[in-house]
Amino acid sequence: MQNRVISKKDLAGFVDDLIKTKAAGEVIGIQAKDSKFNFGPLKNAAELRLDYDIALLPPKKYFFPQIETVLKYEFGATPKVEPVVNDKAMCLIGVHPFDIRGLLLFDAVYGGANPDANLMMKRQKSVIIGVDCLTPNPKAFAASMGTAVTDEGFDLMLTDIGNDYFVTVGTNKGDSLIKKAKTKEATAADQEKRDKVRKDALKKYQVTLKMKPDEIPALLDANWESKVFNDKAATCFSCGSCVMVCPTCVCFDVQDDPALNLKGGERYRRWDACMLSEFAKVASGENFREHKEQRFRHRMYRKGKYLLERYKYLGCVGCGRCAIACLAQIASPAETFNLIKEAK
Amino acid sequence: MKPRVAFFDFTGCEGCQLEVLNFNLEIVDLINVVDIVEFREASSDHSDEYDIAFIEGSITTEKEIERIQGIRNNAKILVSLGACACTAGVNALKNFYTMDENLKLVYGENAKWYKTIPARPVHSVVPVDFFIHGCPPIRGEVIRLVKCLLTGKKFELYHDPVCVECKLNENICVYEKGQTCFGPVTRGGCNSICVNSGRHCWGCRALVDEPNLNAEKELLARYNLTVNDILGKYRIFNGTLEVAKS
Repeated sequence: MQNRVISKKDLAGFVDDLIKTKAAGEVIGIQAKDSKFNFGPLKNAAELRLDYDIALLPPKKYFFPQIETVLKYEFGATPKVEPVVNDKAMCLIGVHPFDIRGLLLFDAVYGGANPDANLMMKRQKSVIIGVDCLTPNPKAFAASMGTAVTDEGFDLMLTDIGNDYFVTVGTNKGDSLIKKAKTKEATAADQEKRDKVRKDALKKYQVTLKMKPDEIPALLDANWESKVFNDKAATCFSCGSCVMVCPTCVCFDVQDDPALNLKGGERYRRWDACMLSEFAKVASGENFREHKEQRFRHRMYRKGKYLLERYKYLGCVGCGRCAIACLAQIASPAETFNLIKEAK
Repeated sequence: MKPRVAFFDFTGCEGCQLEVLNFNLEIVDLINVVDIVEFREASSDHSDEYDIAFIEGSITTEKEIERIQGIRNNAKILVSLGACACTAGVNALKNFYTMDENLKLVYGENAKWYKTIPARPVHSVVPVDFFIHGCPPIRGEVIRLVKCLLTGKKFELYHDPVCVECKLNENICVYEKGQTCFGPVTRGGCNSICVNSGRHCWGCRALVDEPNLNAEKELLARYNLTVNDILGKYRIFNGTLEVAKS
């Protein structure tokens, strides 16, 4: 697989062709939403905003929708249960490296020994065209988390090197797609340009984690009783904003919804998360994380330790969405980890 | 036998009943599983025999106290439907004036012909089994309660703040637009309908179970506001709540 260089004009042509031919499925792209950016179905290449800082919701919503029907059932002499699997092919354009790392975590969580069909079928059928983030949000800290650049998890990765995009080819699928576009072979000089642009972008991150990411688990291990958790949680609304916008939050709730005619119904799942007050409430009425301090600490352990130990991926990719969304300004994992370290 | 359902209106705009009528095709499914025996906005039928009573509106006269007690005695299950029934809603604005002032304001020189008392939510007069919040209530929630009653499933109020659904709906935070919003302390379940339409949350579904009011005060301070600055807005739907009195 040979990396390519494509002019901005030819990239637009390539995207418009993908939309027209549906060669890689429905085309989803990053686009403006008022003063912000979000992923949505792309009507044409002109809508694409590859210069964005952050999408309101991470692209996980296309593989793990906010609400998703997972089976339908009918009562009767011979009850029927039909799984509902939506596995349409999609081509996502403009996914940042840290969001790709989020998707890789999803693969690890949902693609293991007992794979989740709804999620993994969509992942397998989809194409990811990433873009390096050159204008990071002021609250992002991906550079510290080692997630600002990725060499896996994409079919194609675009890097804005001025008049052209450098196209890093990640898979054969990506290779055969980009071969249809008007491109040039990337030279060593092009690659140097790409590497310099990436290096410069790392310096633009304003929030820094004052330790290496792999030091976080030990830090948390030694600080279960840290006062930082209580101090921060004091102004927590338990509103769930931080966990609803997170690219690494993988949890859901399942509900059965009978039809009003009582002849059948459907089962759906919906995002649910550990910062919400009833998340850890069980059937007896017991809530084993009843207090917001407990929930706050749990989230930090989840982001900094539990997921890493179980799935080999850190549960935080440093995108900064939680910190942007949190009205109480307490949600940033980097800030909490730093405070714990400083308090030592 | 199908359960017998009755709708009763007290002080309010009757918009909650209208919202039930707006069920469209679902109303056909509904009347296949329950008998609606009293529903003033849709039918002139009348009955004192019913299993489930939906109460719309708040209690604002002595006469209404007697009437709601009668309904409570007849009904096996009593449901507060909508903001006026659940929190006294907009009607509670009158509680910030004396009753004489209210009567004069509304009826002028004919005030002497009328009597009124401070507005109260239904559950402050008779026990209420279920609450369906909102101005207006969300149709789906009425249907969900009926399905729970029919199937014996426990009906649980949506407990998360409006922010959850607002984030799922990919809205830009109202605070980021430089406006205030009651979403972080208000019970969701409305699918953040007001913010989806470009407005803010008015708090019509009342507070969540554990609102962090100190955090709300801190948040307002960050936007150079005090509780008093936004109290008027908050009293629109939550005048009976302690937080609205100051």
